[in-house]
Amino acid sequence: MPLPPNLQEIVDDFATMTREDKLETLIAYAESFPPLPDWLREERDKMEPVPECMTPVRLFGEKLPDGGIKFHFDIPPQSPTVRGLASILANGLNGLKPEEILSVPADFFLPMKLEDAITHQRINGFMGVLAHMKHAALQSMEGKT
Amino acid sequence: MSYVHPEYLVDTEWVAAHSNDPDVRIIESDEDPLLYAMGHIPGAVQVDWFSTLQHPLRRDFLTKEKFEEVASNLGINNATTIVFYGDKSNWFACYALWIFQYFGHQNVRIMNGGRLKWEQEGRPFVKDVPTFEKTSYKAKDPDKSIRAFREEVLEQSSSKKPLVDVRSPKEYSGELISMPNYPQEGAQRGGHIPGAVSIPWSQAVNEADSTFKSSDDLRALYEGKGIKSDSDVIAYCRIGERSSLTWFVLKYLLGYPNVKNYDGSWTEWGNLVDAPIEK
Repeated sequence: MPLPPNLQEIVDDFATMTREDKLETLIAYAESFPPLPDWLREERDKMEPVPECMTPVRLFGEKLPDGGIKFHFDIPPQSPTVRGLASILANGLNGLKPEEILSVPADFFLPMKLEDAITHQRINGFMGVLAHMKHAALQSMEGKT
Repeated sequence: MSYVHPEYLVDTEWVAAHSNDPDVRIIESDEDPLLYAMGHIPGAVQVDWFSTLQHPLRRDFLTKEKFEEVASNLGINNATTIVFYGDKSNWFACYALWIFQYFGHQNVRIMNGGRLKWEQEGRPFVKDVPTFEKTSYKAKDPDKSIRAFREEVLEQSSSKKPLVDVRSPKEYSGELISMPNYPQEGAQRGGHIPGAVSIPWSQAVNEADSTFKSSDDLRALYEGKGIKSDSDVIAYCRIGERSSLTWFVLKYLLGYPNVKNYDGSWTEWGNLVDAPIEK
């Protein structure tokens, strides 16, 4: 099954980048990391924690009127790498339906060769974020959020 | 009482005053490799604990020749005063300092408080990456007197000499194999090296501003747990990064003459066939 188009594009871009380009792209993603919307700021407890990450990461899947999901993240600015990685997933998956999010294979990022730029510990965190995004998608599908 | 070797610490004010000093090189070493690019102390260069300081294939540090190349490219000569600072209360700043000492660079400092204190004081962060004229740095052969290997750790444990486990209490007890909130993998077994005492690294720093605790507090902390200056001491954690901070504290702030960092740490010991473990 093919990846969602936005995610596929990001994967293809990374696959051909040098280590320096990967780091610069991650920085650009970290810099474009959106602030937590005010309505969520008050309800951090509702957000799902991602204990696999090295940093305190929380995420929330907002259900859009068309049934798609928009992800919001709460990640401290002192952790730009984690912000950048979460941004990649949000850019690749935002707006998709829960079933589409659940269909993304856990190892979809292997062709990106992220290990050129970041340590395996961080890649584990990245996998953790995806797993929790899927969990949020599943909850949404089951009408729990 | 003051620190035994206070010359190994500088404060943020000193760094601000020396950011253009040609005899001083300021090096940022972080846990998060992108922090430097997002903004750093004016005049600072970056050394990444992983991509710069590790061997590309083996689990080991870069070679002496590669270290010479890294130092030369940063415009460092053998007399340069190097000041390290970073995130996470200077964990990786201490790790980088330890590796620079391993290759014989003596003139090193830690900026007390690291990135956090610099930021709290409203001091500037810039994105300009400075370049320096290339030097031809000559490294010394690795100084094994500050690095412990597994055979030595086994000997230390069986002869009941001091071992300091600086991981979190739950890693020490074996309930967790990695830090709380970190991926739980990297070792097949949990627990600690027999005889090791638990003194989490974070007890050596003030949480509010990441500076080191006073010498009296530090002495009470380590001596209170039986870690005294009259014996050889080995510190370890998971990969040797948190324990390099403890190594710095024991060696320079408290002046213990024989302290080693065991960088194999739990990710080696907890995977080592036949290694004794206590829980």
